[in-house]
Amino acid sequence: MNDDLREALTAALGSPVAAARQLAGGASKEAWAISLADGRELLLRRAGGGVMHLDSLSLRQEFDVLVAARAAGVLVPEPIEYLGDLDGRESFVMELVRGEAIGRRIIKAPPPGLDLQMAEQLAAIHAIAPETLPFLASGDLWDRLYAELDSVDEPHPAIEYGLAWCRERLPLERPRVVSHGDFRLGNLMVDDAGIVAVLDWEFTHISDPAEDLAWPLVRAWRFGNDAKRLGGIADVGPFFERYAELTGLRIPPDELLVWEVLGNCKWAIASLTQARRHLRGEERNVELAILGRLAAEMEYELLDLIEKAA
Amino acid sequence: MSNRPTAAELATAVREFLEAEILPTLDDQRLRFRTLVAMNALSIVERESPAPGEADWTMARRICAGDIRETDLAELKLEVAARLAIASPKFLGRYRSADETDR
Repeated sequence: MNDDLREALTAALGSPVAAARQLAGGASKEAWAISLADGRELLLRRAGGGVMHLDSLSLRQEFDVLVAARAAGVLVPEPIEYLGDLDGRESFVMELVRGEAIGRRIIKAPPPGLDLQMAEQLAAIHAIAPETLPFLASGDLWDRLYAELDSVDEPHPAIEYGLAWCRERLPLERPRVVSHGDFRLGNLMVDDAGIVAVLDWEFTHISDPAEDLAWPLVRAWRFGNDAKRLGGIADVGPFFERYAELTGLRIPPDELLVWEVLGNCKWAIASLTQARRHLRGEERNVELAILGRLAAEMEYELLDLIEKAA
Repeated sequence: MSNRPTAAELATAVREFLEAEILPTLDDQRLRFRTLVAMNALSIVERESPAPGEADWTMARRICAGDIRETDLAELKLEVAARLAIASPKFLGRYRSADETDR
């Protein structure tokens, strides 16, 4: 951490910074684990230098989402203070939560009941009153996905096929709810007792609850444990049953499969747009570049699911 | 169909990574030299790779317009599998072993 940022942070928090360590952050935001001289330990979220991701929340909005989620009883790091401009970039501080967030490690020995806890967290998220977060994007699902795919500016007939297949099958008549937008292993901080916190709220938006429910089923989020459909940790039955118990909402299995196909379309499109960030020079990074090629994994999966559904 | 980043673009990405993130961390003169040689090898790959052909939008536009044919699914699966055989052969192998278990 450079001296200017350190000084700005000291002034904002009223205590000298004793130690700062940069963590692997999201696509366009930095994350720092901060120890203050007064003993407090915090996590600093700060805008990155690059161009913001399409449709992601600003840090002000992300902070407000954390406040609303916490008030609704969702397990989230305590939002501590929105700092505004910190040495040239928007920032906030929140509680530093500890545990394991790496999906590939969690699937090796998932804590008992993690599947049910995931259902409980989703039920709590979907109960957040949308009017408390008026800035959340609530546009048409298809408009959103086609706009993102168009921004890639490359032909992807397999994704077009998947979108057309889903569009024909999803009526979208259900009341929409506050949706996390990236609820899956990898964005959950977990310890031996289960979920410590739900992280990464930058894609929160208003949508059909089934979108969030099917997202952790997507094969990429099973981290190689393909046979366990829910995030590589469990079968989906108890997870959906618990969610239905809490919300009264029971989504038919064949509709969920359509949402799972759609999840694969979404992740394929997002992978392509991430690769565009590299190719266009917005953020030069091998990890982003390779996603352009790995999108074919999601394309294959969505075609395979459609073929088996026939 | 499209296949970006191209091989040349991937080689560029790795070369830039070595230059920007690895080279500055190296104190060992021998490792520095070998990293510079590796970067040079990548720049040869970049220059040698053929320019990508024009993307073919015909099928994507037809499907997007709602004109879907019975043969599309099988054709697309073959096309995607061919790309995966290069980009992620192990991933494709996981489907094949799963299908064998099903039998």
